Formats: sequence, C-alpha cells, structure tokens
Amino acid sequence: MPGTYLLWVMAPEIASEAQPGQFVMVRTSEGYDPLLRRPLSIHRVARGEREHGALALLFAVVGRGTNWLAQRKEGEAIDLLGPLGHGFKVDPPPRNLLLVAGGVGIAPLVFLAQRGIAEGHQVALLLGASAKAQLYPAHLIPPEVNLLVATEDGSVGRRGMVTHLLADHAPGAEQVFACGPISMYQALADMSRKGMFEGKSVQVSMEVRMGCGRGACYGCALETKSGLRLVCKDGPIFELKDLIW
Amino acid sequence: MKLSVQLAPHNRRGLLLNNPVMTASGTVEYGTEYAQVVDINRLGAIICKGTTLTPRRGNPQPRLAETPSGLLNSVGLQNIGIDALINEKAPIWATWLVPVIVNIAGERVEDYAQLARRLEGVAGVSGIEVNISCPNLARGGMEFGQSPQMAAEVTAAVKANTTLPVIVKLTPNVTDITQIAHAVAEAGADAISLINTVSGMAIDIAKRKPFLGGISGGLSGPAIKPIAVYMVHQVSGAVEVPIIGCGGISCTNDALEFIMAGATAVQVGTANLVSPNAPVEVLEGMERFLEREGVEDIAQLIGAAKAP
Repeated sequence: MPGTYLLWVMAPEIASEAQPGQFVMVRTSEGYDPLLRRPLSIHRVARGEREHGALALLFAVVGRGTNWLAQRKEGEAIDLLGPLGHGFKVDPPPRNLLLVAGGVGIAPLVFLAQRGIAEGHQVALLLGASAKAQLYPAHLIPPEVNLLVATEDGSVGRRGMVTHLLADHAPGAEQVFACGPISMYQALADMSRKGMFEGKSVQVSMEVRMGCGRGACYGCALETKSGLRLVCKDGPIFELKDLIW
Repeated sequence: MKLSVQLAPHNRRGLLLNNPVMTASGTVEYGTEYAQVVDINRLGAIICKGTTLTPRRGNPQPRLAETPSGLLNSVGLQNIGIDALINEKAPIWATWLVPVIVNIAGERVEDYAQLARRLEGVAGVSGIEVNISCPNLARGGMEFGQSPQMAAEVTAAVKANTTLPVIVKLTPNVTDITQIAHAVAEAGADAISLINTVSGMAIDIAKRKPFLGGISGGLSGPAIKPIAVYMVHQVSGAVEVPIIGCGGISCTNDALEFIMAGATAVQVGTANLVSPNAPVEVLEGMERFLEREGVEDIAQLIGAAKAP
C-alpha cells in the first residue's frame, strides 16, 4: 500500500483498554504547527507476550501531520491520547460477522476481526481497493478470517467496488461493520433502502474533521436522524440507519 | 508564595481565585467530562461553553479549519441552553471546589438581561462572563462588542440583573479596543477578558467556495498570541478593572507574557483541545518561575512590563 504506513507503538494503558472502533488522538508536531492532533483508528493490539502493550496504527499520508508521523523512526516517542470514542458493538452470542473495508478503511476492522475471532465469532472480511498494490496485505489478516477481495481495476479478486460482494455475503451475516470512504457508505445506504440488510445492525465508522477528540470543542458535530451527534464522543461508530445521506 | 488573585475587587461577592489560570470558554464544554481527565480543583476557575436562552444547534460542517499554528472555527455557539445548564450542570458544579463562571451570549440586550436573571442565586455559579465577541452569530454576539454604546448597554443590563461578579469578554475585531474597554468598565463590568477570536476565513480552492460551513470564523491558538498580548497591554493602561488575558496561551511563558503585559489572570483555550492538562502545566510552570525568581506574590508581576 504505497503512501500508507503501519506504525507500532508501546502504549500499554491504551492497548489494554482499547475496543475495536475506538481511536487515538496523535500529536503530529513537536511545536504548534500542525496544531491539532490527528484522529487515527486503533488498527490492532499485540497479543504476543513480548509485544504486550503495543498497538498499531495504520494511516495514509494525506497532509503535513500524517507526513510528519510517517517519518518517525524506531525508538522515538510520540504523544497519544486515548482510547477515545465508542467502538463497534458486537452482540454476545457467537455469530457471523461481516466486515466491509474500503482502502485504508481496513484500519479499525483488523482489530475487530482479531477480537471477533477471539470471542468465537465467524468473521468474513470483504476487502476492497482501487488496485492490487493498494490492497492491505492478506498475510496480516488473521488466518481464521474468510477473506474476499475486490479491486476496481480487477488486478486481483473480483473486479468492481467492494460493495458488489455484499449481495453474496450479506444474507448469511447477522451483523455488518464497515469502514471506508463516504461513497462506500452511500452505496451501503442504497442497498439498505433496497432491503439488503433487513433489520440487521450495520455499523459504520465516520470520519469528520476533529478538534479535540473528546467532546469538548463541538467541531465534529454530525446531523443524524436522532439529532446532532459528536463524531468523537458519540461515535465514531454509528448505525447506518441513523445517518442522513 | 501567593498565587491567588481577586478579579472583582469592587463586587460585594468578589471573585477570588486560588491562582490565575482558568480554562477559556468553548474549550472544556461544561467541565464535567474534563473533570474526569484533569484535576480541575488545581485551576483558578472553569469558564463553561457560551450559553444562550434556548438551545442552539450551531453551524453546519465543516466547523474547523487548521491554519499555521492556529485554528479557525465556526462552531456557532452550539449549546444546551440556560435551562439545561441550570438543571443538569450547575448541581455538579456546586460540589466542586473550583469556581465555575458561566459564559452567556445573546442576540438582543434583553437576552443578556434574562440570562443574568436566570443565573441569580443558582448554586454552583460563581460569576458571569458576558460574551459580546462571538464572531459566529448572525445577529448580536460580536456586534455588541464592536460599539462602545452597545457594549455598555449589554454590560449595564447584565449588572442590573445580577449580584454575581461580571466579566465582559471583548472582541479584537475593532478599531480601538480601549474605547470598548472604557465603555464596559464605566457600565459596571467587574473585570474584562480579552481577546475572543480574530475574524478570519479560509477558501476551499477545489470547490472555489468558503471552506467553513459558517462562511467565516474565528481564529484562535498560538497564531493570535501577539495580538492578544498587545491588546492586554493597551487595555490594562486604559481601565482600572482587572484584565483577564486570553489568546493563544499554550505554556507558562505565554501566560507570564500576558501577566507582565497587565493581566491579573489568564485563560487557556485552544491548547486544551490539544493537551487537556495544559492549564495545569501552565500553573505548575508559573509556580516554578515564581520560586526561581524569588517572587513572593504573583501580583508583583502584573503589569511588570509596563513599568518605566
């Protein structure tokens, strides 16, 4: 995934509390420019004895902040706040979970897959990207996951958008979890209107420009069917049916 | 070492803070969640989110634009309204040691008068900060802070309806801030806080449209600090009431600049969004500075840079 970085950090307190879907706010300068922290999903939490307390962040370089972060070297310290927000809600009895990832939207879903498997769920992951080179490496996905791939150019997997895989896989799942670009959520909302998910919980991770990440500044307010919500505090995970498209 | 400051020396109730470091309005919501991550009782005071008579939804997205060392916002005073504040937040504040000051905003002079009346006698409220400087309201708000007559009228209306200490928060978006400061001091303000955000704008060049949902916004953060320090310096020479300095304070040295320019106390704002513990760190650094410099009372530093 050119332009995308995987960063492991030792953060035992955050790692031990973190739930899939939650995020951290990361400082991306030593001074005041860029000023604000950047919200990044928790990508996975280390399970091995030796790496205990480590967590991974997966991010694409989109501006000066993420560019600064991409240049950090092993052994350096970075400043994280978290875990923040409300994560994905997985119902307790073991079920079939369907995860839908668009591009770097895979970030929180690997953690969800890890946790889901550990808790005895069956996990299928629909993974989409523009082309093979932009696809999250399959060997980093837990082997128990039933992985299905789509690329827009057809260089690997099914040709087309990842949402095209849903017709085959949505009916067998009890819960759906998605992270990707807004266009992907719009496609999901269309499918939902056509009855694809009939009454199932479809949870999506929203991304809005954030100030503080803790509900203090009201910068990330989002109009939903149940009123104005803060993405950082009330989200970032929302039920698809509560969102307005 | 004495850090306590009196912000309303001529008010019967007074507004005595244990130390001069407060949080600025709009950066810690109502302080209740903030209290879970920061030891708020260390602070001089908490100033809550700007509050209006009825709840406000605020402006559409995007509400924030980052600028070099600054933050442009058009949140638009989204708030729960005075009823919910009194019923849900004040009872929590009443259990705190740290004083809470309620920031009020309105579209008409009568709104401010009513807000002051509603807050009279509410346990947990130690003072009022009158926001005549919000750039993100279509009517009222900053307009009141741009005319000496209107600023005085709002101040007098609040004073006539409360026994609480009244701080008036000024906008920097004026020709001569000392005129406004004079007017509100004459009208009975117990203290003056400055500055609110500096009006600004960003353009989305891909869409060829204003970037912010509110079209324009208010700039805060380190980028505006020199403007704020200068205005504190100007105003502290022009009025007798205590000045509360605000605008881009991120560390102890910033706070000391404001105090030496003439501020009796300071508010930490945008820095809270980046580091919630910033106000406590500002205070701890101040304690170290006083100790190192052999200063026994913070009052000795107030306006130190103004001495001949």
